[in-house]
Amino acid sequence: MHASPRRPGGARLAALVLLVLPLAIYSFLYLMPIGSMVALSVDNGELGRSLVAFRDADRSDANARAAALLTDMRAMDAGTQGATARGLNQNLAGFRSLFLNTARKSGDIEPTMAGLVAFDPRWAEEQYWQVMERNTAPFTLRHFGQATGLVLDDNGRLTAGGDDIYVQIMWRTLVIAVQVMFVTLLISYPLAYAVANARPRFAAFVLVAVLLSFWTSILVRTTAWVILLQTSGLVNAFLLWTGAIAEPLQLIFNRFGAIVSMTHVLLPFAIIPMMNVMRTIPKSQADASRSLGAGPIETFLRVYFPQTIRGVAVAAGTVFILALGFYITPSLTGGPRDQMVSFYIAAFVKESLNWGMASALSVLLLGAVLVIVAIYGAARWAMARSGGRA
Amino acid sequence: MSRVIFWGSVLLALAFLIVPLVLVLPLAFNEGSFLTYPMDGFSLKWFAEIFTHGQWTRAFWNSLRIAFGAMIAGVLIGGLAATGVMLTGRALQIVLTGLFVSPLVVPSIVVGVAFAYAFGRMGLSGSYWGLVLAHAILGAPLVFLSVMTSLRGLDPDLDLAAASLGASRSHRFWHVTLPLAAPGFLAGALFAFTTSFDEVVVALFLASPESTTLPVALFAGLRDRLQPTIVVVALLLSLISFALLWLMWWLQSLGRPQKH
Repeated sequence: MHASPRRPGGARLAALVLLVLPLAIYSFLYLMPIGSMVALSVDNGELGRSLVAFRDADRSDANARAAALLTDMRAMDAGTQGATARGLNQNLAGFRSLFLNTARKSGDIEPTMAGLVAFDPRWAEEQYWQVMERNTAPFTLRHFGQATGLVLDDNGRLTAGGDDIYVQIMWRTLVIAVQVMFVTLLISYPLAYAVANARPRFAAFVLVAVLLSFWTSILVRTTAWVILLQTSGLVNAFLLWTGAIAEPLQLIFNRFGAIVSMTHVLLPFAIIPMMNVMRTIPKSQADASRSLGAGPIETFLRVYFPQTIRGVAVAAGTVFILALGFYITPSLTGGPRDQMVSFYIAAFVKESLNWGMASALSVLLLGAVLVIVAIYGAARWAMARSGGRA
Repeated sequence: MSRVIFWGSVLLALAFLIVPLVLVLPLAFNEGSFLTYPMDGFSLKWFAEIFTHGQWTRAFWNSLRIAFGAMIAGVLIGGLAATGVMLTGRALQIVLTGLFVSPLVVPSIVVGVAFAYAFGRMGLSGSYWGLVLAHAILGAPLVFLSVMTSLRGLDPDLDLAAASLGASRSHRFWHVTLPLAAPGFLAGALFAFTTSFDEVVVALFLASPESTTLPVALFAGLRDRLQPTIVVVALLLSLISFALLWLMWWLQSLGRPQKH
């Protein structure tokens, strides 16, 4: 900030030398992995690579199509044949055996339509050819279609009418993030207020509590909630002991458990930005307002609160973004109907090995986060330009 | 009335913040195997079980080795990036800062998928270096920010004074600027260490059964069965966190008198 005006010449070289290593590592180990993940979300897998001659063949000439298909089959090794057959079978049941049988004998079959039909009469059916034509492009919107409840029609365009399970999951993710954001703001505000305005000793105590919580691993704090909220846990034991309830309550593996634990984990992220803004508000303002006849509540609502909105907005954005992509806490404290997008991404990677869907959902999640960050950036820029305090 | 609202809400919120850990962590010393009060008696037997079970100690050493590696790599990347960015023009500074800080914003599940896929193809998946480099990327933004803050807070007159005494640019950088920014590097190093030591999601995707870290083992334990050993691990993890926080405070208090 201070030094840039009086740094001519050599500074540029020094900057270049210093930045080479970090830029190389970021590009190679961070931007490239994210880029390859984005590419993976539209990648058509083996189908897009193995049927190259077929893709280029003249569609109207049945014999040329047949010859191109056999050429592609001969060029594949056994692994590629298997992967291609699997991909085709996902689109049309029964294709796997047809493709593999034909591929195995592809050297002996006469490279014409008649030759193929003679080998297996199913090749006369147009549906097999249609499936191959639709699915041999190197790129596909299949995963995004599945994620957004759209289906690919015969022309390869996305149309409505698919299974909307992932739309529901994304909507649920959004709802949970908003719920967590509101509860977190509600609980953080008084704590941030206490740090900024209470007597020094109490303020310092609250601050230490906030920092210790912030510094404690998210997993440890989630562990505490799992132990507190389980059916035979501390909360239920306490409620049974007081006689408030006769049967243990289901407090975990449902929306309640997910929201309580996520709120607790995200509290410090909301308190810290609010606290920083509140500390800049002079206490004399409240005294001035009171001396002019306003009551304490009116003073708070009309003088104090409006000045803290900037801090509240930063806290809300931070908590919302973190909640949107949260995995650890909701996966341990939520029930099957409270799992967020992140849970399904992890399941696609760890269990079903469906990388296409995992990356498509990741791209959608990343896109949502980047849109929010961009809105905040634009708002900050606009405020700085309009002369507001940035 | 307004005081009642204030104190009521502050005390409730404070209880919500503190009580869970204060209540749960002492259960690590419970004699019995039920995770509830009243405790059956004081015992260290669950600690003994942790230290005699190979899986926990192995996971602990993995975590420690990975966190050290990630700290060194993160300080190198983030520190070089911050000092380099300070020397560039304003427009480039905004772009590069955005780039270097961005891993903080990208959800860890997304980074996890990207690392798992790309590192898998590079043959780094499941290896020590794969985890170190992935965690270094997550820690570097924190080093970057704390070194940046530290460099920005420097008194420009000190650089000017050194220049007027005839010190060359590189001499000033190595002997004036860098020592003054040392607290920023140290704080950044601690941030990078903790980030790696506590990280779950990326490690979950990258670690093999042999390179499992302590948080990944704890996560698996929580999903599997709730045992007192889990509370012991949680307690040990928090003690390590608190020790690092205390170290940070101590280092900052060392740095302060030099400034005035």
